[in-house]
Amino acid sequence: MAALDFTTLPQQLVNGFLLGAIYALVALGYTMVYGVLKLINFAHGEVFMLGSYGAMFASWMLGFGPGGNDASTGSWVTLLLMLLAAMLVSGSAGFLIERFAYRPIRNHPRIASLITAIGLSLLLQYGGQAFLLEGKKQAITSKVNPFTNDFVFDLKKPDVGKVQQAAALQPEVDTAQKLFDERLKTSEPGGVFNLTPDGDKLNKALAAMKEKQNALIKESNASAVSIHLPKGKLIMLVTTIGFMIGLWYLVMKTRMGRAMRAVSVDFNASSLMGINLNTVITFTFILGSVLAGAGAMMYSTFQSAPIDPFSGMAPGVKAFVAAVLGGIGNIPGAVLGAILMGIAENLVTWAGYSSYRDAIAFVILIAVLLFRPGGLLGSNKVEKV
Amino acid sequence: MKIGGSKLNLIALGLVVSGILVGCGDSGSSNTVTPTPDANTAGGTTPTAGTRKAPTAEGNKADGDTIKIAVVTSISGENKPWGTDQLEGCKLAVDEVNKAGGINGKKIEIVEGDTASKPDQAKLAAEKVLSTNVVGIVGEVSSGNTIQIAKSAFDKGVPVVAVGATKTTLTDEGAHVFRVCYTDAFQGPAMARFAFEKLNKKKVAILTDNALPYSQGLSESFRAEFTKLGGEIVADEKYESGSKQGTDYNGVLTNIAKKAPEALFMSGYFTEVGPIAKQARAAGITAVFLGGDGWDSDTILTGGGDAILGGFFANHYNNLDPSPEVQGFLTKWKAAHGGAEPSTTMGALGYDAMALTIDALKRAKSMDSKSLMAALEDTVDFKGVSGTITLKGMNGNPPKKLIVVEVTKKNGSNWQKFATSYTPDQIK
Repeated sequence: MAALDFTTLPQQLVNGFLLGAIYALVALGYTMVYGVLKLINFAHGEVFMLGSYGAMFASWMLGFGPGGNDASTGSWVTLLLMLLAAMLVSGSAGFLIERFAYRPIRNHPRIASLITAIGLSLLLQYGGQAFLLEGKKQAITSKVNPFTNDFVFDLKKPDVGKVQQAAALQPEVDTAQKLFDERLKTSEPGGVFNLTPDGDKLNKALAAMKEKQNALIKESNASAVSIHLPKGKLIMLVTTIGFMIGLWYLVMKTRMGRAMRAVSVDFNASSLMGINLNTVITFTFILGSVLAGAGAMMYSTFQSAPIDPFSGMAPGVKAFVAAVLGGIGNIPGAVLGAILMGIAENLVTWAGYSSYRDAIAFVILIAVLLFRPGGLLGSNKVEKV
Repeated sequence: MKIGGSKLNLIALGLVVSGILVGCGDSGSSNTVTPTPDANTAGGTTPTAGTRKAPTAEGNKADGDTIKIAVVTSISGENKPWGTDQLEGCKLAVDEVNKAGGINGKKIEIVEGDTASKPDQAKLAAEKVLSTNVVGIVGEVSSGNTIQIAKSAFDKGVPVVAVGATKTTLTDEGAHVFRVCYTDAFQGPAMARFAFEKLNKKKVAILTDNALPYSQGLSESFRAEFTKLGGEIVADEKYESGSKQGTDYNGVLTNIAKKAPEALFMSGYFTEVGPIAKQARAAGITAVFLGGDGWDSDTILTGGGDAILGGFFANHYNNLDPSPEVQGFLTKWKAAHGGAEPSTTMGALGYDAMALTIDALKRAKSMDSKSLMAALEDTVDFKGVSGTITLKGMNGNPPKKLIVVEVTKKNGSNWQKFATSYTPDQIK
């Protein structure tokens, strides 16, 4: 085991927080549907997957397709249109799934809905292999994102003396580079990889210079602590927080939100109080799916995640676990659980156990559930019969 | 209703959690195929004849009007670009011999088996084709799947000619396993030498895909040679491909970035390497990317974008090679595919594997598995598209040339630029 490197810890915590934010957007869908229907919507990961395809097809239509123009870059309008497309596709998928798969069997024993959910998830994965570009792995080109530079926060500055020494070596490196380049152009028939002894000598000299410089830079960085935050990821974080505030407002302050909360407290009684159950349930599905779609667009654009019909599975499972960890049915719990999951995964990697990343994350889940069976923020009260 | 509901939910949760655990177990078991260090550090092509166990089963006999040969490969799933190329290559070789009248007047018939790019499906597909009286099996493109096919074929006594499976220990499955590609025990050290000697990189980080036996073996052999040369491995990180872990690699990449390596060796497949390359550049890694033949696909640019350009990887042959074998193959392939070139090297390797099997059948005493196996073992200087193949006394591993290519772009599409080549004699 490698010794713990505390200089990368802040960066790893930020990585975990960003990953957790995406899990949270997906986890909210699981937890809200569970809240109103007591149903675990296993097809939610596939709704996420369809959202990524929505975003990708939108990017193709905007001129960033496989054979698109290399030179052009997107703008915030491109990103916004992709986000809307992903949300639209996911929202429609959520609506259709609820209307045609879950509603007809809502009053049947719950095991029927559970099996339907699993079946639907498999149908979308394998159906996607047949219909969505033959199931080939795709990716959204990073050209759509014009915000490519990083924010760098220096928590502890690198060693200034060493940095200056490294910079002072630059003229020597340039000279060695120039010598080698000239030699390469004039008298090296074999190119870079089959040098004559003289050319090889120049190449080795250049490499030695560069190594000296690199060693200095590395030394100066050894004690430095900084956080790199690509602008794209910052946009992702701000958007996610925006969605969460919007959701909070919707659930706590609007009529529909109140109806949702009432249905989650008592399904039958709320119906007796004049709440239209179908409307509330449809709304909940669409809301959860739209959030998953937003998450999908940001995951595949800013994290460069590849897209295929199975790409919803991993985020889906992780988000489901996050929802259970936070207490399924509880909205702030889902967010908390998701961020904890993201951070736990990155901390395991940071400690040098990248092979056991998932195993340890799930051990944490089991440990939490042993002591708090209802999840971190869930209610522990026994359901009355 | 209410009681039923809540209990069932608990059951559902149990199911999901146990499903996850079973999932982990699966990958765990595939990880236990650890490479033996000896096999990996020794050049890999040293003949140590007669050490492999021979299958005792009788094998199949071609008794109908046709001779059946199975092509088991990834016709669907993640490795589809390779699998379909292999199948097309095999078909090309079979069409050629059938047009010329077949073997002793008997036509060859291909029995297809789809592994769906998964080891468990590979086992099922192998068992299915083995029950159809095939005399031999050609496939697979990946090592993890080929191991399963080899195990099933051993019980039946049917020979297997692997196409792109480079894992060194694969041929230890038995004397019935042969391949037409080089091994990771050659590929890893060759890339290590390329990095150390040609690129002058002394500090390298390694990123391994723990879900692939191929990737584990390749990283191991690269590490052994690179440290032997005097280089330093500054970081050694793992990830897992497939649908379980997701596609966020920032954790491992942050660890690697801090170590400031001069090169990053990624032994996984193009499907993951592309996105990792993009995320690595975003995480501030400036190192040169290096890899094995798992990078070979024209879709690597789809996932990797500009980030992967300038990376180097080991490959089997090059379409630009002027030799008559290569150019003749390309002409035939283009004629069959409307002018398009094969998008991966698995087309040529699939063609070689099938042509070799047919050649061995012609040399065999009778049309059954046992004679085919003996004829394959006796192969000397078979002229393949991807090079000359000799299997006699080689334990199924032909000594072959390797080329190193650079990922570049030409007219907006993938262009593998030739960098240098290695022969087995150079790596000792």
